[in-house]
Amino acid sequence: MIESFKQLEEAGRDRDLADVFLEVDEQEHGIPAEQILAALRKRRGVMRDCIERGKGGGLSMGKLVGNEARKLNEAFEAGRTFLDPLTIKAEIYALSVMGENSRMGVIVAAPTAGAGGVVPGMLMALEEERKIDPEKTVRALAVAGGIGSIVALSANISGAAGGCQNEVGVAAAMGAASVAYMMGGTTRESIHAAAIALKNTLGLVCDPVGGLVEVPCVKRNAIFAVHGLTAAQLALAGVESVIPMDEVVEAMVRIGRALPRGLRETAEGGLATTATGCAIGTRLKDEANQRRAERAAERERVAQERKGSES
Amino acid sequence: MAVRHDRKVSILDIMGPVMVGPSSSHTAGTARLGRVAREILDEDPVEVRFFLHPPLAATYRGHGSDFALVGGAIGLNVDDPRIPEAIRIAEQMGVEIEFAEEDLGDVHPNTVRIEIKGKTKEAEIVGSSIGGGVIEVFRINGFQTRFKGDSPSLLLFYRDRPGMISEVTRIIAEERINIASLYCSRKQRGKDAFMEIDVDSPLAREGLERIRAVPDVGEAKYLDRIT
Ligand code: SF4
Repeated sequence: MIESFKQLEEAGRDRDLADVFLEVDEQEHGIPAEQILAALRKRRGVMRDCIERGKGGGLSMGKLVGNEARKLNEAFEAGRTFLDPLTIKAEIYALSVMGENSRMGVIVAAPTAGAGGVVPGMLMALEEERKIDPEKTVRALAVAGGIGSIVALSANISGAAGGCQNEVGVAAAMGAASVAYMMGGTTRESIHAAAIALKNTLGLVCDPVGGLVEVPCVKRNAIFAVHGLTAAQLALAGVESVIPMDEVVEAMVRIGRALPRGLRETAEGGLATTATGCAIGTRLKDEANQRRAERAAERERVAQERKGSES
Repeated sequence: MAVRHDRKVSILDIMGPVMVGPSSSHTAGTARLGRVAREILDEDPVEVRFFLHPPLAATYRGHGSDFALVGGAIGLNVDDPRIPEAIRIAEQMGVEIEFAEEDLGDVHPNTVRIEIKGKTKEAEIVGSSIGGGVIEVFRINGFQTRFKGDSPSLLLFYRDRPGMISEVTRIIAEERINIASLYCSRKQRGKDAFMEIDVDSPLAREGLERIRAVPDVGEAKYLDRIT
């Protein structure tokens, strides 16, 4: 059983990091490695489909977002972008997934739905741009999952428990480690990539406008997909986090506890309580009440009709 | 008595589930909680009441948790694209649904109590959606427990007496099934008791029948992984 990143570094010295995690899961959960890889292969497919659909855009449930991927993709295809293609694709793909998510489409939680654009954004962009064998991406997903599972031993992975650092921050750390893995980095480099990524999301609050996973969540996924790539780049160049990953996770937990309730997904603070945020919140509530009233009226009508036809 | 190895979540728990958006704790986790209630009831529901802990009550609608809870309660999986339609489907099935707020004490923000009724039976659970689609059900029909739905489980309602645990675990061993964890609780010595046994591999029908035949076992339910 691997319970810390320190142990992971020991166990993964001179070894393929995906193999280490697959072995642990086989021992602890009795799921054979082949079966995990088969499931991850399917999940990579779900991510791929989701990215394709998401590029088309469309309004979200709360009508606040949904067309970010389409716009950036159009600009990219028309040659109107200035960043390099890897970065732009990571952004487009993260936005695509989040757009689908906001329309109640089928996605892969990684590690949550609200942070579900970060890992596929990074990994699918890298796979495409660096012509990496998709099977390597599948193994990188095992690395991402493994990193997350160690974090989850000490932290609750939800915005409600510790703010957005616990969701998007953890996703960026998972993604950074797996990008380092895909680029041929060592286990130590992967762990430092994760530490650098997570360290620099500490304190990130969860303050979704109107309580919806739309603002700031959708764009935040694009920004932190790029953040994760940057962390991986530093680690692959030999830059190391002075604070070890285990301690970064500890800090995250402590900061999460210190966050006031209003900044933990309740939509009672931060962006959610700005003038614009409040106005949107009120509109959403009114709309929801109206829908509920309509539904009740419809039920009433059906009940009356039934009574009418019975008598 | 509580014997439990707290297990690490698996790669597939973190890189997943495949689910309908927009929020793993508000959609996937809540759908699974609804599913747990439905599976414990073990028949078609006619009435489901959801009592939401205040923080969840404040956020559930915007995240589509109402669709998800109801979807789970009528038996939909978390990746079922019909979840956004779940309330309508439930109404067509004639299921009565109610949402209310209730302070459930010092618990995770996303906690819900579910009362579910079928034609002949009823059940009640209290559980939290703790993030990433992971759930923790800590009360089933009034008994304390620690059900996660991430492995096949056996739930036993029985009359407390010496030797019960060993009799049941012996049968499970004879069925060549490994026990991952075991949790017992009771309301009073010698009275109603409850046992949750999480196992590593599925339990066959005959195994379950053998356990049901053990004296003093009131009810034995076998639940597969809740997906
Ligand atoms: S702000 Fe909150 S809801 Fe949005 S992605 Fe971050 S943790 Fe999730």
